[in-house]
Amino acid sequence: MNPLEILSATVSGQASPRVPIFCNLLDQGAKILNMSPEHYFSNGEYVAEAQLKMLKHYGHDNVWSGHYVGKEAQLLGCQKILFAKNGVPNVADFVIKSWDDIATFEIPEDITQHPIWQSMDDCLRILHKEVGATNPVCAYVTASTTLPVILMGMDKWMELVLTGPKDLRDELVKKCSHFVQQQLTAYRAAGANVIIYANPFASTYFIPKKMIVDWSMPWMQQDLKYGTDSIVFYAGMAPLNTVTELVIDKLKVNIFYPAPSDDLAEAKRLIKGKGLTSGVLDDIKMIHWTEQQTRDEVKRIMELGKPGGHFLFGTGFMPLNIPEENIIAMLDAAFEYGRY
Amino acid sequence: MFETYIEEYNEAVFEIDKDAALEVVERALQEGVTPEQVVFNIIIPSIEGMMAEIVVNADSNLAQHFMTAQIAAEVTEKMLAKFETPPEVIGRVIIGTAYGDLHSLGKRIVMGCLKSMMVDVVDLGVNVNAEDFVDAAVEHDAQVIAISSMMVHTATGEEGSLRVRALLDERKLSNKIKLVVGGAPYRFDHQLYTQVGADSWAADGVTAAKIIRELIREVKA
Repeated sequence: MNPLEILSATVSGQASPRVPIFCNLLDQGAKILNMSPEHYFSNGEYVAEAQLKMLKHYGHDNVWSGHYVGKEAQLLGCQKILFAKNGVPNVADFVIKSWDDIATFEIPEDITQHPIWQSMDDCLRILHKEVGATNPVCAYVTASTTLPVILMGMDKWMELVLTGPKDLRDELVKKCSHFVQQQLTAYRAAGANVIIYANPFASTYFIPKKMIVDWSMPWMQQDLKYGTDSIVFYAGMAPLNTVTELVIDKLKVNIFYPAPSDDLAEAKRLIKGKGLTSGVLDDIKMIHWTEQQTRDEVKRIMELGKPGGHFLFGTGFMPLNIPEENIIAMLDAAFEYGRY
Repeated sequence: MFETYIEEYNEAVFEIDKDAALEVVERALQEGVTPEQVVFNIIIPSIEGMMAEIVVNADSNLAQHFMTAQIAAEVTEKMLAKFETPPEVIGRVIIGTAYGDLHSLGKRIVMGCLKSMMVDVVDLGVNVNAEDFVDAAVEHDAQVIAISSMMVHTATGEEGSLRVRALLDERKLSNKIKLVVGGAPYRFDHQLYTQVGADSWAADGVTAAKIIRELIREVKA
């Protein structure tokens, strides 16, 4: 079985030789091609080339079409990204500077005609052509209730959500939801076969469950109204066990990517032998772990997750300063302990 | 006397109901509670209650932390203007986000709590140079530098806390100025603060205020 078949078998509960193994390497690409991050991320062909090189080098299952989260802000008018030689590009210009800007804030009619989309489209089409039939090709979409964070900053968004006028808050989310729907359609059309739908505002770490039920969930239903095919539910490394049943019930999504802090045994129980949940390694610790510590943690996660199947092993968005030997140790251990 | 106010105020904050929290304060004032008593007998115990709640109840959420800080800061600012004599400040903190980091939510929560606890806060904003942190701490005679990082590379980068630590050591200030860090990377790796040369860390904004207050007392002891 190829990695895509293993993933598909795992979701449906069929026999497979091993656990799917996701290793989310994004910022490493610039280093692999010996480019500055700014130059690297300017061209989707570079990103695709690096993703394919890393896939061959490390042997994990998935590639990433996503460049960095700030690309979504750029599609919506952000003019400045702060690139760092040692980490994730960061939104440095907020499109919405005051609540008054929400009225005039506009979503592009067709994001696929936007110049910023071009590099992601190029990347996806290459990855789809090269490995789309054999490997998970991942894309990343931020949910409508979280997207304002990169448009106005977390504190301003939190202030509007918690204390501002509800009609103004929802006017912005409605526009964002339209954008999310466009992105999902565009990613699927360009060849993404796994779409990470990220919503920290669906985690009880961020807001109370009542607010998730009353406010966030209806917007998630809007975001995903054209289908949940290939959707992986993710709360941005925030815990999601407390909402898993709600998501299954209301969104009909049954593939989950929990936080490392979520109780994996509980995550397995919550999906009730249907769909898939993931054991996510806390990769920030890999920065200073030894190879043996890395292997031990992979073994622990596999032993908890493998019984009963419906289980994927994955990482967060691997920080750049994780030593190469720890990445190799992690993947060696994942393939060793992930066998059925 | 104050228990009922505290209970009602806390309930409103925990329910993220700012209007209800402000109504409790307003009613207390109308019923003869002084501005000083509002701050020292209602607001500060409320924040301390939230700190205790975080320890025993992992289900408290970021929205509650944010509202705790924002309402406390707003009420304290209003009450301070009505104080008969200015309150004694317990210490001073220089705060900002690490070099290259533009995420300000955590910083804002910490600042709200600190101000309500009579800690003077000098906010250097976001994307702050290490030199600026140390220079400001010396200039303002601060006991603590607090650096917030949302991303791994800004937490561990050579221009962030590591550089602040190096400068404090070079200038022989380490006994006079403590370095505390916070933000997402530290929550995922509880030992990371030692790798970046910090004296302490906190898992959330409200607890950070408690840690900072303790560090101020340590320096002043």
